[in-house]
Amino acid sequence: MFNYRLYWTFAKKSFLRSAVYRFDVWSRLGSNVIFLLMWGSIWTALYAGREEAGGVSFQAMLTYIVVSQFLSGVNGAGTPLWEIQEKVRTGDISLELMRPFDVPLRYLFADFGSVFFYMITALLPLYIILFFFMDLSLPNDPLIWLAFSFAAFIGFLIRYCIEMAFGLLTFFLVETGGVEDIFYFAMSLLSGSVIPLWFFPGWLASFASYLPFQGIYYIPNAIFIGEIAGYQILTSIGVQLFWVVVTYIFLRLVWNKASQKVVVQGG
Amino acid sequence: MAIIEVDQLMKEFKVAKRETGFLGAMKSLVKREFYTKHAVKDVSFTVDKGEMVGYIGPNGAGKSTTIKMLTGILVPSGGTVKVNGIVPYENRQANAKNIGVVFGQRTQLWWDLPTIESFELLKEIYQVSHSRYKENMDTFTEILGLDEFINTPVRQLSLGQRMRADIAASLLHDPPILFLDEPTIGLDVVAKERMRTFIKEINKERDITVILTTHDMEDIEQLCKRMVLIDHGQKVYDGEMAVVKNRFGKIRTLVVDLEQHSKPLTLEKAEVFKEEAGKYWIRFNREDISASGVITQITQTHNIKDLTVEEPEIESIISRIYQEGFDGVEQPIPVKSGS
Amino acid sequence: MRYIDLYFKLVAAGIRAQLQYRFAFFMRIVGMLTSYAGTAITMWVMLYQFQELGTWNFYEMLFLFAIAVLSWGFCIILFFHFRSLDTYILNGTFDRFLVRPINPFFHFMAMKFDVASFGQFIFSIFIFIWVSVELHIHWTIANVLFLLAAVIGGVLIQGGLLVIISAFAFWTTKSEQFYWVVMYPARNLTNYPLVIYPKMVQWFTAFVVPFGFVNYFPASVILGKETPYFPENIGYFSPLVGIVFFIIAYYIWMLGLSRYKSTGS
Repeated sequence: MFNYRLYWTFAKKSFLRSAVYRFDVWSRLGSNVIFLLMWGSIWTALYAGREEAGGVSFQAMLTYIVVSQFLSGVNGAGTPLWEIQEKVRTGDISLELMRPFDVPLRYLFADFGSVFFYMITALLPLYIILFFFMDLSLPNDPLIWLAFSFAAFIGFLIRYCIEMAFGLLTFFLVETGGVEDIFYFAMSLLSGSVIPLWFFPGWLASFASYLPFQGIYYIPNAIFIGEIAGYQILTSIGVQLFWVVVTYIFLRLVWNKASQKVVVQGG
Repeated sequence: MAIIEVDQLMKEFKVAKRETGFLGAMKSLVKREFYTKHAVKDVSFTVDKGEMVGYIGPNGAGKSTTIKMLTGILVPSGGTVKVNGIVPYENRQANAKNIGVVFGQRTQLWWDLPTIESFELLKEIYQVSHSRYKENMDTFTEILGLDEFINTPVRQLSLGQRMRADIAASLLHDPPILFLDEPTIGLDVVAKERMRTFIKEINKERDITVILTTHDMEDIEQLCKRMVLIDHGQKVYDGEMAVVKNRFGKIRTLVVDLEQHSKPLTLEKAEVFKEEAGKYWIRFNREDISASGVITQITQTHNIKDLTVEEPEIESIISRIYQEGFDGVEQPIPVKSGS
Repeated sequence: MRYIDLYFKLVAAGIRAQLQYRFAFFMRIVGMLTSYAGTAITMWVMLYQFQELGTWNFYEMLFLFAIAVLSWGFCIILFFHFRSLDTYILNGTFDRFLVRPINPFFHFMAMKFDVASFGQFIFSIFIFIWVSVELHIHWTIANVLFLLAAVIGGVLIQGGLLVIISAFAFWTTKSEQFYWVVMYPARNLTNYPLVIYPKMVQWFTAFVVPFGFVNYFPASVILGKETPYFPENIGYFSPLVGIVFFIIAYYIWMLGLSRYKSTGS
């Protein structure tokens, strides 16, 4: 039943469309670099010349931040939360219910297109240069690269499911102000995107480990720098797979409720 | 006495080219090419005090660009403009006191506030004296029936109500000149009629000069004695409305739906110019033959299932004048189908 | 004088308009409080293991952050809507500011008055009290006056940048995006003491886009922190820098407006 051709077209279309909005590409890259500078400086200052802290070397920590910024560039190139909210409010998404395709999947594939465009034109060139010029620790084992790529991809899917589901909550809420802020806070802190989980206070670290957000940044980053190694890689990816299933079911539930609401009440 | 003088007015824009395809997409990331668009070319006209002029043209003809230069929003690339003795772009604020502006599609009122509050704020902005404000409000309330919605937030008004409020707002400071950009767009028949009556009235009683852009044939026929036609940025006609109407407004199109169409349809003094699935579009000149004359001819050979008579649209009149020049040989006007 | 009177009338109308949406208003305050608390929590987690960020401890960082939040709060009230000038231009509503007999900058500025900044005020005042107790800050009249002057300077600097960003819309038909690319990261950058950044960046935030004068330099004066590369007590210049920067911003905006009048887009 899955119509590859159709979804492939969505991806291709949004790839080409991204090119029209050239300003978006440069601007996103610009702010990505500023945040990289910020977190790089913060961690340099926190280490304050020490070779290692909490068993993690400075070089590894810096690599963690650079990889994390790369991934946040990847994740940030998809349809953002506010845009989903906007599409719900204007009724664009309700209209798409009448079309012969699955709406969440359509957006996912459109995201693939725009993310891929942003990656090859902006992110990869920049980060390849960074990896050349900065003293970072790169994995030697190709298997680690493979595991990282896979984990990063699963992380992308988890993020997508959560962001889409949060966005679709707009169907049920009059005002989304608070929802947004909680989402962004969880996204930045609990995912380990700027502070790795091992530097958290114990209780907060175990709290975060029961949540899906760690799968987005913490797990791929930690695999990359070797903090998650050996058989732990498999269990971590297992945890990610568990969360991608759970968040997908959550997204489906929200979507079904939302589409029912549209059908019954006309949006 | 001329209150508006426009002489060889020009406006050029630089417009970016859109690239297509994958390579074009990559290219436009780095570099864009531009071309020059002549929105208004060499337009000259004058308007006397108290005149009501229709400024007419198809979409993108340069109408609103001209209006923007007259209101001081845009600076011309060439030529001169004078409105009530003031060059609008040099002295925008002084000009603003002399003009009232209504944009049919965009309200100038405070969206979230009760209508009356917009009037009160505009009173402050234009420094209208208290007594004058009261007088005007009384008059407008009476003619436009503002009191039925004066305490309703603007966003809850119907389009007709909103337009009434907008036009009243534009006249609060007694401007000698009023610019109306599509004042009846989207209104129903009753609301349109009401709007036209009001425009006629203020033009007559207050001696306000009105410049009006519209797409609506009815608007032009009822309101404007004089019309200035522009197309592709150039003036193609400036003169009496009646002349244009006489010359070009006599062409009618009859659309008939015929039951059986094996026989060819041959007509005198009328011409079939389009045929589609039993439907015929027939053009004739009202002066040569009446609609019933054409219909009689058809019924001699065919059975009519359905019929409509269409009047020419402003677009087609303009494109004809543009193509043939005003003194061109009379030919049937192409009428857009389906309208 | 006429403009002051008119400003209050326009602003009062803006507030009445905003209060038509009470629930949205309330939720925005909740949202802002959440997001500032989020940043504070992130700082706390960051310093849980490390105690210090470039000689600044958690409470000092909170103090630095609170000054930024307070002046940003005022900035939202007065200037936040400038970022969406592009929308006004694109849908044509900006023209209405140009057919009226008053200064368009003034008219545009007075159009909105976003009182939802209660969130910022509650948050920053709470932090000031908490930090004052923890760090035993002695509040003298001179101190308080200096803090107020610094906040005014901060409002003018951040407001000035918002004005410049909105002016970009006159050239590029974009401004909201510039806000998210330039100002949002810049504001985040200054939530942390500038001393941790490379010298170039510090120099840039002192003399080009003077964000250093919003919170880092004034906070250093009050807390008696060192500001390497910069003269001691440079923070006293905050109000002056604010005034100068805002005047420059105003002229850039007016320059953009004249460009808009020649292109119409």
